[in-house]
Amino acid sequence: MPAFEYVRAADVAGAVAMATADPGASYLAGGTTLVDLMLKDGVVAPATVIDVGRLPLRGIRLVGDALRVGAMTTMEELAADPTVASRVPFVREALLLSASTQLRNMARIGGNLLQRTRCRYFRDATVAQCNKRIPGSGCGAVAGVARMHAILGASEHCIAVHASDLCVPLVAVDAVVHIQGRSGARSVALTDLHVPPRDRPDIEHVLEHGELITHVDVPLLPVGARSTYLKVRDRASYEFALTSAAAALVMRGAVMTHVRLGLGGVATLPWRARAAEAVLEGARADRHTFRAAADAELAAPYTVDGTRFKVELAKRTIVRALETVTGVSS
Amino acid sequence: MTRTLVGDPVDRVDGPLKVTGTAPYPSDVTRPGMAHAALVQSTIAAGTITRLDTLKADAADGVLAVISHRNAPALAPGPRMEFGPSLRFPLKDDRVLHVGQHLAIVVAETAEQARAAARLVEVEYAPTAPILAIDDPRAPVVRNLWGLEMQRGDVAAALAAAEIVYDETFTIAPETNNPLGLFATVAEWDGARLTVHDSTQWPMLVRMTLATMFGIPERDVRVRVPYLGGGFGAGLRVWPHTVLAALAARVVARPVKLVLTRPQMFWSTGHRPETVQRLRLGAARDGRLVALDHEATSTVPLEDENLYPIILGSVDFYACESLATHDRQVRLNIPPPSWMRGPGSAEANFAIESALDELSYRLRMDPIDLRLRNYAEVQPRSGLPWSSKALRDCYRVGAERFGWRARTPAIGSMRDGNWLIGYGMAGLTYEWYMPPCQVNITLRRDGSAWLRSAATDIGTGTYTIATQLGAELLGLDLRDVHVEIGDSDLPPAPQSGGSGLAGSLGAAIHDGAGKLLRSLVMLVAEDQRSPLHGRRSDEVAVSDGRIYLKDDRSIGEAYVDVLARHELAELSALGECRARPEGTGMAPSGAHGAQFVEVHIDKDLGLVRIARVVSAIDGGRVLNEKTARSQIMGGAVMAIGMTLLEETSFDRGTGRIANATFADYLIPVNADVPELDVVFVGEPDRFNPTGAKGLGEVGLVGVAAAIANAIYHATGRRIRSLPITLDKLL
Amino acid sequence: MTDAMLLHINGQKWSVPLDGPLTLLDALREHLGLVGTKKGCDQGACGACTVLVDGQRVLSCLMLVAQCEGREVTTIEGLSQGGRLHPVQQAFVRHDAFQCGYCTAGQIMSAVALLAEGRASSDDEIREFMSGNLCRCGAYPNIVAAIRELAAAEGR
Repeated sequence: MPAFEYVRAADVAGAVAMATADPGASYLAGGTTLVDLMLKDGVVAPATVIDVGRLPLRGIRLVGDALRVGAMTTMEELAADPTVASRVPFVREALLLSASTQLRNMARIGGNLLQRTRCRYFRDATVAQCNKRIPGSGCGAVAGVARMHAILGASEHCIAVHASDLCVPLVAVDAVVHIQGRSGARSVALTDLHVPPRDRPDIEHVLEHGELITHVDVPLLPVGARSTYLKVRDRASYEFALTSAAAALVMRGAVMTHVRLGLGGVATLPWRARAAEAVLEGARADRHTFRAAADAELAAPYTVDGTRFKVELAKRTIVRALETVTGVSS
Repeated sequence: MTRTLVGDPVDRVDGPLKVTGTAPYPSDVTRPGMAHAALVQSTIAAGTITRLDTLKADAADGVLAVISHRNAPALAPGPRMEFGPSLRFPLKDDRVLHVGQHLAIVVAETAEQARAAARLVEVEYAPTAPILAIDDPRAPVVRNLWGLEMQRGDVAAALAAAEIVYDETFTIAPETNNPLGLFATVAEWDGARLTVHDSTQWPMLVRMTLATMFGIPERDVRVRVPYLGGGFGAGLRVWPHTVLAALAARVVARPVKLVLTRPQMFWSTGHRPETVQRLRLGAARDGRLVALDHEATSTVPLEDENLYPIILGSVDFYACESLATHDRQVRLNIPPPSWMRGPGSAEANFAIESALDELSYRLRMDPIDLRLRNYAEVQPRSGLPWSSKALRDCYRVGAERFGWRARTPAIGSMRDGNWLIGYGMAGLTYEWYMPPCQVNITLRRDGSAWLRSAATDIGTGTYTIATQLGAELLGLDLRDVHVEIGDSDLPPAPQSGGSGLAGSLGAAIHDGAGKLLRSLVMLVAEDQRSPLHGRRSDEVAVSDGRIYLKDDRSIGEAYVDVLARHELAELSALGECRARPEGTGMAPSGAHGAQFVEVHIDKDLGLVRIARVVSAIDGGRVLNEKTARSQIMGGAVMAIGMTLLEETSFDRGTGRIANATFADYLIPVNADVPELDVVFVGEPDRFNPTGAKGLGEVGLVGVAAAIANAIYHATGRRIRSLPITLDKLL
Repeated sequence: MTDAMLLHINGQKWSVPLDGPLTLLDALREHLGLVGTKKGCDQGACGACTVLVDGQRVLSCLMLVAQCEGREVTTIEGLSQGGRLHPVQQAFVRHDAFQCGYCTAGQIMSAVALLAEGRASSDDEIREFMSGNLCRCGAYPNIVAAIRELAAAEGR
């Protein structure tokens, strides 16, 4: 693997100061993204790796109506939390449908939010056309093998999917990301953390170099809410999503309220399905409405040969998730 | 009392080594003074190298050598085998014939340094337009290169006259073998003698190839592979990286270890070629097949050949008077395909058994009845009776265990909530294959027996069945029998391939044990001090390390006493298998089987989940019930991948494999696999002296069609291309 | 970067030379002679390299040695005590839960952790939570059978 200097941060302030001062530094949390990309794929080559995994940013506690999740909490720890299980169960479902136990024991929440795409045109340094790695070089996936790629937030510049399952229910509940930078702390809605590729796929989020995610606030669902995370994939386990949907709502009789919907596997960033929510909020729960919501959300997808099938599949995924969470079946 | 060991579900004798992590695989081997190698591979599919600059690599930390076409010592071409030539030596010249072609090997003190230096080799190309698609009109087509094509009767006339005609095309994507064990070679020269630890299923082939290419006698090459982390056909050719490792070791005059990366396992160790089959059938209204025309197309690289016997799969499967088969191979700028479990047979079966299923619906016949209507009582090719064939029992027992009767034939008539349920079945007959094999059997003074052969155990259970056979035939306890394999210095053995090894090695052990015991009898018969003085072979039996009179067990003596008295350290015999079916009046048979599958398909999302599989297999005499079951189950698991998940995706324009990782190329995971029910039926085979038939590949054959047929039953969608991914069912 | 790091492996202290970045897997296999843990993909996708760190199952190919400082690592070599096979190893042999054996060390370490996690209450649960360990030989049903038996013996 390309050589780098390894440093373990003693505290948050020290980590941030070190990273901010060094343009060639990257944070290391669990390593499941960085070690893979850096050492195995050779796609990134930081000169310095700052291990923040042992910083006191681990743990989950209730703060008002939200769970404050330390960024160094592991995915397994978050999935095992009893409040997550009872008050945001679709977060737990999304976690347990992610990766494998081994990876969930290693991967941290902060790293999960900032994970890099799995796109094999991005991760293969021999591919010349990748706007994310080499701005302006083109997108090899558009005319290539694009089964796992995006149809929302996408264009001919980039169709790489943000593959986090966890982010899908988190954007649905309007999670808030807390960040420490050199000039202090700030917070950003998760829905604003990631930016769509547009014509600069190399810019994926709003963090400045050196800023460190310290914790994530996860608002609890209203009492009586139902939620589900549906992940559609070719094999029964251990695979990224072709499409996925995180749905939560509160039923008032036959009417859907407090509707939250997130999509995964289909977008270049974690996708909050606002157009679908607008159709569903206050409407009667029936298949016709579910389908109308799906049509609204998938009204203007960007497709290439390999992703065309995803439009219909995404719609059916939304419908099925809503059927599950409302108990209304066809 | 004779204790039968063969057939018993004996635990694998190499089990303790494997569960403790102490079984040595090629990538575990270290040698004193060993250096490490890494490969440089081409990123284009066709063209020439215009610049290959190793200056930076040569100067990098720890680098001992960088070998490319510019400085590679010349090697002789490898030998030509009956399955094809040796692979083109990639450093022969400046031409590039496929993406991933090895362009250089870098040797350094550590693996990390070798990899870092390999990244510093600079290559520029003059690319030409690659030919990558199987239907590209510019691709050269080779016809019937292997002489496999066959004709009988008059297919054209029979098709024209048939009451029912069927004409469909089946396509199967390329797949990659992907054994978990990364292939590795550790090469070491001692003067002009070469030893390689190599990930191979065929040590003798590696020995012959290296000897030929390096111009040294075969006896000066030793190939060792006591354990292999799976093969599935990937280890049946001598790949360039093995030759390069040996070359590197010679150049740096130190042992060299090369371990392939997982992406390199897609490029450098073969794959199941993409295939297209056109199948035309003519049938009478009662279901009898009257004509079968089978045209198969597979891919080969520009400068390589690969015997790919798809069309042999139709020749002897069913009784059909008129038959014509056509073999086409298309030359492309692709890495050399090779064999993957059930090569040719798996593909042909998918086509034929899907076709018969389609016919069964057209004719409103039960699919099993249609198979029985066309049952080949004798081998169609020769007209001879099979050495064993319990295929009817496979259908009957399999159907019963599966509950086939519960099937309602109407499409989509079986459901469970959001899941459509489908039942599908397929039959199979595997080719007989029994290549020559030798084994040395030695009885030692301490009462232990040693069986030695250059065979391999690739997870198939060779160590264990050989131990059982030796123990049973020599009348010894399992723990007193030791098996040494995986070494080309040992008596020659064939590959673990074609499902032939168990039959060949078993026959050789049978022969060797017989010879050994006969020489033991000779010793005691001529010995006045022996209680068996004057006795003949047919009067004695063996067990518990003793040889004694069949009529009176008390008259006899222990092996150890015989050897001691004669002052022999050991007694040896060379067992041989040289199968000669001519004149036996029978057609030697491979295994037969029937596969039954229940699938559940999500009616909206297209998800396909396998709920149950029943495999009813006629394997003749089953040598070890436990390991045999495992082979069949393993084949079924691989078939689930073949049918639903696996496709090696080549970028259309560049020829790069876009999914060359385990995260992107999907093999079945534990959650994909339900209970797999395996049942063995039939009688010991009459041709093989052990009664056994090979089981390594049959578990996979037939499952793809059974799944596709079940999918049709559930959805009414007939999918004639693999993999059947959910987007094909939306 | 320090020149050497002290790792706790199987109850013993091992010194690992560090002249560059090193994964735990490569440390075990290349520097410490502990080759029981296998490399199947080196990219975190196959599970063959599964070991326990502080009792939890992880992928050693994606862990830097530096991340293991002060933590207790258990490999397949640390499982059997005094030549006796661990119950999980015994169950694997009994049920033929392997064929070529290459993925087996990873499967076993994963199974040990699975049982401790209490995730063996049904076949479906076992299948799901063992899906991070690939087996190309397809020994999955026997792996499930071995774990099922172990869970029953533990009374789970």
